[in-house]
Amino acid sequence: MVGPIVTPLLVAPLCLLLPRRGLYPLHLTVSLTGLLAVVALMRAVALEGPLRYAMGGWGAPLGIDLLADGLSLMPLLLTALVMPPLTLYAHDYLDEDGDKQLNFWPLWYLLWCGLNASVLTADIFNVYVTLEVLTLAAVPLVVLSGGVEALRGAIRYLLFALLGSLTYLLGVALLFAAHGTLDMAGLAVRWAGDRLDAVGLALIVVGLLAKGAIFPLHIWLPPAHSAAPAPVSAALSALVVKVAFYLLARLWFWVAEPAAGAGLLLGGLGATAVFYGSLQALRQGRLKLIIAYSTVAQLGYLLLLFPLASGAALTGSLLQMIGHGLAKASLFLAAGNVIHVLGHDRVRDFAGVGRLLPTTWMAVGLSAISLTGLPPSVAFLGKWRLLEASFQQAQWWWVVVLVGGGLLAAAYLFRVLACAFVDDPAYPEVHRLPWSLTWMPLALAALGLLMGLFSAPLEALLLPGSPFAEAP
Amino acid sequence: MTATLFDALLALLLVWLGWRTVVSTNLFNAVVLFVIFGLLMVLCWARLGAPDVALAEAAIGAGLTAALLLEAYRDLTGNDPHHVHDVEDSPLRWPLAALCGLLFLGLVATGWQLAPPTELGETVHARVAESGVENPVTAVLLNFRGYDTLLEVAVLMLALLGVWATNGPHATLGSRQTLDPDSALIDAMVRLLVPMAALVCSYLLWAGAHAPGGAFQAGAVLAGAGVLLHLAERLQPLGTASTSSRALVTVGLFVFVAVACYPLVYGGRLLAYPDGQTKALIFLVEAALTVSIAHSLTLMFSGGRAFQRGRR
Amino acid sequence: MSQLTLYGLAAAALFALGLYGLLAYAHLLRKILAVNVMGNAVFLFLVALGRTDPQQTNPVPHAMVLTGIVITVSATAFALALARRLHREVGAVDLDAQSRRGEALDSTQTEESGKS
Repeated sequence: MVGPIVTPLLVAPLCLLLPRRGLYPLHLTVSLTGLLAVVALMRAVALEGPLRYAMGGWGAPLGIDLLADGLSLMPLLLTALVMPPLTLYAHDYLDEDGDKQLNFWPLWYLLWCGLNASVLTADIFNVYVTLEVLTLAAVPLVVLSGGVEALRGAIRYLLFALLGSLTYLLGVALLFAAHGTLDMAGLAVRWAGDRLDAVGLALIVVGLLAKGAIFPLHIWLPPAHSAAPAPVSAALSALVVKVAFYLLARLWFWVAEPAAGAGLLLGGLGATAVFYGSLQALRQGRLKLIIAYSTVAQLGYLLLLFPLASGAALTGSLLQMIGHGLAKASLFLAAGNVIHVLGHDRVRDFAGVGRLLPTTWMAVGLSAISLTGLPPSVAFLGKWRLLEASFQQAQWWWVVVLVGGGLLAAAYLFRVLACAFVDDPAYPEVHRLPWSLTWMPLALAALGLLMGLFSAPLEALLLPGSPFAEAP
Repeated sequence: MTATLFDALLALLLVWLGWRTVVSTNLFNAVVLFVIFGLLMVLCWARLGAPDVALAEAAIGAGLTAALLLEAYRDLTGNDPHHVHDVEDSPLRWPLAALCGLLFLGLVATGWQLAPPTELGETVHARVAESGVENPVTAVLLNFRGYDTLLEVAVLMLALLGVWATNGPHATLGSRQTLDPDSALIDAMVRLLVPMAALVCSYLLWAGAHAPGGAFQAGAVLAGAGVLLHLAERLQPLGTASTSSRALVTVGLFVFVAVACYPLVYGGRLLAYPDGQTKALIFLVEAALTVSIAHSLTLMFSGGRAFQRGRR
Repeated sequence: MSQLTLYGLAAAALFALGLYGLLAYAHLLRKILAVNVMGNAVFLFLVALGRTDPQQTNPVPHAMVLTGIVITVSATAFALALARRLHREVGAVDLDAQSRRGEALDSTQTEESGKS
């Protein structure tokens, strides 16, 4: 169970010491072993139920425990699926600039480590440390693209992240003051729901909302995600922001017992995010900004879990999370290809690009299917479950959000696709790109559609230990 | 009664300093007030029975942070303390102040009758003997909750990588001559303070097992010496990373991960030190960490990738 | 008044003050100072919590705060490096404004030497 955390942790400093050419086998090894480890973990959890791992052999509350159950395995699986293609892509995408490469790979692997560590831990202070690992790995990666825009985006990102961390930490302190333990299971048992618990939870939630770029604390996301190098943008939008959502879900349902009204508030923020983000995406002229605002919007769907609070909603939001992750990663890589070839990402100047980069544009098309929520994508299944949950819980107004958001997504994505398929004699033939740049975006997008086939075993994983009465 | 009065005064002074730091439009004052704030926090830690934290705050919080802030102050303002007047602040200042005031009241109302359960503390003290060290804070930091520390070391390395990524290969090596490195005063300071720092560092590292101290405090003190050497031009930062500097930066993490993974070999849990070897292993990890921490913090201050001997 | 109450009040006040500083002022150095004040506030509260047992102090908050101090100095060092780089590139010390020279900040500005 500790493999996914420790392997990247060990590899990262190695990257600082080894020359670039020696790194490729390392990338392949980590990618493969990571995926195998996660699959093995999933089988173990499917057979034995949720697993706990006591770090140092001490056991909570004295030591720190790791927890692997259905909920934590979802983002873990997403990371294991998305990071390998991104890694291979990044290997070819980055400039030959030796200095950038030297800094990039240790940061990348520590990001990977942070992603896994933050979803496996069962200790709320350890969460703070893993979130800092994520932040301090992500922000320098944004800076590495060079340029003033990246710098400004990075500073804003860092400041928001620090605000989020410290607010989160204050919440942790309050909960520690109330219950004297940092272990999630221990807190769940002792939860009293009094004012101290409520304020502690509120602070934690605000901190996580800042980290997850949920409206209105989303301001840092578009500049940072659009200015970063393409594989970094992909990792940030697809994986890093999801950690905040995972932690919100974990603490909200597995530890605390918040009032129903609070769930409605979060749902309201989510709905606002969907519409605001989509409308902003329609207004953008640059592809990467469109994709970044799309992330702001799509994260809103995930928040519908909180007012709906049912097994179906849980399944729905997690499937949506996976679907969005795959599609968004694919889109950012596609944008990377476009920038690599054209030198810019202004949508109105995309005429003929469809012919220039056919596989890339196919990937964009497939991702659009996922983001709009059309079958057979796993994102479609996610939205379907959320619709089910809306009807089951008699909260019909979320249907408007789900359907409306899908229509708006179709609008802003169609704009991008249409521009590219205008025929332009300036680009008569296909541009040759390195292998990974050509195929990784398509692989990710295709995976977003194929994962729909695997949704049943994933849903089954969520059942044991679920806080919801009925089956997912 | 006197003790409470002292605490009350300390708390009041702390808040006043914090307030002045935040609202001061004279940037130099703000930085200096913050440094004093940090030193006062050291006193607070002592009053609250936290000597380990006091040592760390003195070396890291008040010490290194002060050096970093002053360096940045000079760079960002060109020594003009009223530099802020060129910058437009948020127009929402008064509503924000009101909101923050409400936050304060809310926090006070929430935490008014706090009675934190003490069982975790009691458990730790009861089981310290099993941890291989006698200092309970070291026991928690390097044994019971060693996983946190492992990730924290990664954070430190990440910050250094971040500074490298930001500065690019052309590190801030610009001439920063505000000190006359040939002066007798600097000479005396270096001759006296650097060996003393090395001594204190070794003491803190050794003592950490049974008294307040440990790798972080030791590393920070050594880094202080490094900063002094850099400012006095005994150490010159380089733009390209040398193998030895990369090795020094990573050795702490490597040793820690290696020791952590060692139990996995025979089926134990990560970080579950084998009985009988615990004290030695913890010391090994702390020693490696001290080296890495000192090197990383000094590099973070200078912005360079490696050091070489200076002109002197 | 117990130590917890006194220092707890101070911590709450400092957190609110730091938050105000972070949000209200535009100069990056002031924001970074404010974040540090906020951080110290949370640490103060945590250590004070360890003081409630009359016989011995709870070392877990001490370990938490030590970790927090190291993380904070790391983040501060990085944030300061970013601020200094921004100043070197475009002469600005805040995120949204014109440069001190009154020229519009152009994102396609080439990496000329700037102030160093």
